[in-house]
Amino acid sequence: MSEGTLKATRLCKSYGKKDVLRGLDLELLPGCIYGLIGRNGAGKTTLLSILTAQNTWDEGEVTLNGEPVWENRHALDQLCFARELSPALKTGGANALRVKDYLRAASIYYPNWDAPYAERLLKEFGLDKERKTRVDKLSKGMMSMVTITLALASRAPFTFLDEPVAGLDVVARERFYQLLLEDYGETGRTFVVSTHILDETNGVFERVVILDEGKVLENTPTDSLLEQFRLVDGPAEAVEAVCAGLKVLSKEYLGRRLSCVVRGTPEKLAALPAELDAGALNLQKVFVALCGHGEVLNHE
Amino acid sequence: MNETLSDQGAIYLQIAHMIEDDILRGIYREEEQVPSTNELARALRINPATAAKGINLLVEQGILYKRRGIGMFVAPGAGQAVRASRQAAFYKRFVCPMVKEAAGLGLTVQQLNEMVARAAEEGKQ
Repeated sequence: MSEGTLKATRLCKSYGKKDVLRGLDLELLPGCIYGLIGRNGAGKTTLLSILTAQNTWDEGEVTLNGEPVWENRHALDQLCFARELSPALKTGGANALRVKDYLRAASIYYPNWDAPYAERLLKEFGLDKERKTRVDKLSKGMMSMVTITLALASRAPFTFLDEPVAGLDVVARERFYQLLLEDYGETGRTFVVSTHILDETNGVFERVVILDEGKVLENTPTDSLLEQFRLVDGPAEAVEAVCAGLKVLSKEYLGRRLSCVVRGTPEKLAALPAELDAGALNLQKVFVALCGHGEVLNHE
Repeated sequence: MNETLSDQGAIYLQIAHMIEDDILRGIYREEEQVPSTNELARALRINPATAAKGINLLVEQGILYKRRGIGMFVAPGAGQAVRASRQAAFYKRFVCPMVKEAAGLGLTVQQLNEMVARAAEEGKQ
């Protein structure tokens, strides 16, 4: 059902003097759930809005299956960007649109719109009684649920969700990932989900895209990214000795003890001596190691 | 994510390990069907591609095999094969860390051996 690859090449975007995207390259494959992670201000929302041609850019190009997406009806039909709803409109004033207005707009805009599915989701989220409620009167969690409903029911081959779980409680977040995986199981379409809550995403993202300072730092299968990192811990001298030849991302001394986050090929990491504790890192810790911008020491 | 999975270590390896455990415990017997990729993905709330990777690993190792159009089944002799590979891994996974910890505590090899013998004795009672 998904067709082609969505590709951004050497994208640059600035807002006034602020460079947000700096020559960004990204390729998104059909049929894959991506996690998009990056610190605040890394350019996540800007990137998503440009990939879906809802925002202009200064340099570079965005293509779907080789065709530019800008003002291209055929390409845009394949893309859905579910933005975070906000109680205030960018143009000023309150967001007085009602839930049903959003749904109606979506049903017109998205050619694959699945109305029965949207109804099921509304009921599931307890939003079926809020159809006539103005968006600025919804709770933050309910706004997230409207966004999620739009994204899932759009059935678009490339669906982008910007912080979909931001306003949700822990039960609703779990449910969201379940729904996402169920839909993915049925349709096999591509989802790109940005989030800051990484500990709950374990096993969901097939690939992760890490955005840092306006560039793509990683676009890697989650498993193969994680297996490149270890936290090595032990007597300082021994740890320092084994860290030579590996990329050291952080170093923390505690008395004579040293903990290092290191990166290397799985073969190199497997060769770490057994006397030292070398534990795997989860995605959150890998992200902090890569984007925490502590001092990066390169021993290679 | 399901409580049975941890966030340390690759999920697909955990999936493969979990199915192996279930074969050893007799939850899945030889020539019986194991859950499909989608069933695993749903039950454990993980990406079906990850579940498939775990299952494929066991297919490569001859632990599971595919019956076209039906699903994945436990291969004949799988229990024995899993036990053999677990025995091989036992040394690295349990014995080496134990010896290391014992050495750190100043226990001699002889003392350690005595402890192992005692634990085996107490386990029998």
